[in-house]
Amino acid sequence: MRLSKSHDLPGTLIVVEGVDGSGKSTQISLLRDWLISTVQDVIYTEWNSSRIISDTTKKAKKKNLLTPRTFSLLHAVDFADRLEQIIVPALKAGFVVLADRYVYTAFARDVSRGVDREWVRNMYGFSICPDLALYFHVPIETSLARICANRAPKFYEAGMDLNLSKDPHESYNIFQGRVINEYDKMIDEYGLVKIDGTETVHNQQVILRNIVSKMLEQKNIRVR
Amino acid sequence: MELELKKQSRHGYPGLLIPIEGTDGAGRTTQIEMLRNWLAIEGYGVVISEWKTSKLIAAAIDQAKEKNLLHAYTFSLLYASDFADRLENVIIPALKAGLIVLTDRYTYTAYSRDVVRGVSPEWIRKLYNFAPQPDLVFYLKMPVEILLKRIIGTSGLDYYESGRDIGLSTDFYESFKIYQRKILSEYSIMEKEFDFEIIDGTLSVDSVQNKMRKKVKELLDSGVIK
Repeated sequence: MRLSKSHDLPGTLIVVEGVDGSGKSTQISLLRDWLISTVQDVIYTEWNSSRIISDTTKKAKKKNLLTPRTFSLLHAVDFADRLEQIIVPALKAGFVVLADRYVYTAFARDVSRGVDREWVRNMYGFSICPDLALYFHVPIETSLARICANRAPKFYEAGMDLNLSKDPHESYNIFQGRVINEYDKMIDEYGLVKIDGTETVHNQQVILRNIVSKMLEQKNIRVR
Repeated sequence: MELELKKQSRHGYPGLLIPIEGTDGAGRTTQIEMLRNWLAIEGYGVVISEWKTSKLIAAAIDQAKEKNLLHAYTFSLLYASDFADRLENVIIPALKAGLIVLTDRYTYTAYSRDVVRGVSPEWIRKLYNFAPQPDLVFYLKMPVEILLKRIIGTSGLDYYESGRDIGLSTDFYESFKIYQRKILSEYSIMEKEFDFEIIDGTLSVDSVQNKMRKKVKELLDSGVIK
């Protein structure tokens, strides 16, 4: 299916991945400002932001009603909707599309919730293969320290639905530790480009811009 | 000591799972209602589960359909979410409790509709691979011409049942014919693949029901549930 081969659309798809607190959103936002000032036609899309089922997932999350599989399917609905309504049209029109989280988020999180690895990969088989997938790697301690500096981890980000531990911090450690582990396995499987998320914001951004300009130049898009 | 070989249901739960498939207008709902009454009189606990009825997701599907904004894969995944939710909350608990679960449509409906709308047949079968394997699948088979008359004579042609969303023809009648033919052709591929018990849907309501009861009776007599 589409995910396993490179696309032949005129646009460019760049995705950022990593656990909560890995700094990927800060980096993609800086990348976006830079690209807008140089290549101009840039759009940005976030995980779980389609309106089609947001009410349903919100309701379900509140009541903790969903099994991991149903949860996984609903995220796929959201993704499919955004892919067809936003991502694909923009790629056809030649835009640079920046996605904050992509299918790899589902592969990491859903598998960490006990969903079958092959099943979830097949489910997302219709998605477009990115031109560049950046993975911001941080150790679990960094993630926890950044996310929970002044609050307790939230129910789902701590994986409290899995009954791993009654203590939210402990549960966060176990659950997000699994997520990191799944991401690490995908570096080879999908050619994710690993970025050290413990580096300073500036250093990371310099590395990022370097990788992105090279990739864009290969597609004959000039970046200064 | 005597060794007793107990017959097992196909899915391993103590209950029985019997889906009834067929296109719109094939008479599924009527037949299921009659089966339920008969089984109740025979002393079996019955649960009915219909396609697209999960409390959580059915409303979202209706909303999206109203706006006609679904792409093939989105459409397909929404229905799969509904199914997964019903499976966990209705179907599996009932099977575990040893009840007979009659489902009005099952995964085969997705295999026909979604494939006609453009998703890969292999992809959709893998997507639903978590569904328990039924003990008996009834397929109420109807030729397009008779279906058309039935539907026009009762509910009238519906936008989605006519496949209007996939732009087959702007003529409602033509579109319905083309769409339902495609659907039927997907079902016919599945007849062997999933070992359908084919029932001629053009027979009278009572003859259809008698044939179905005979098959269910055979299954019950085999001692698969107590």
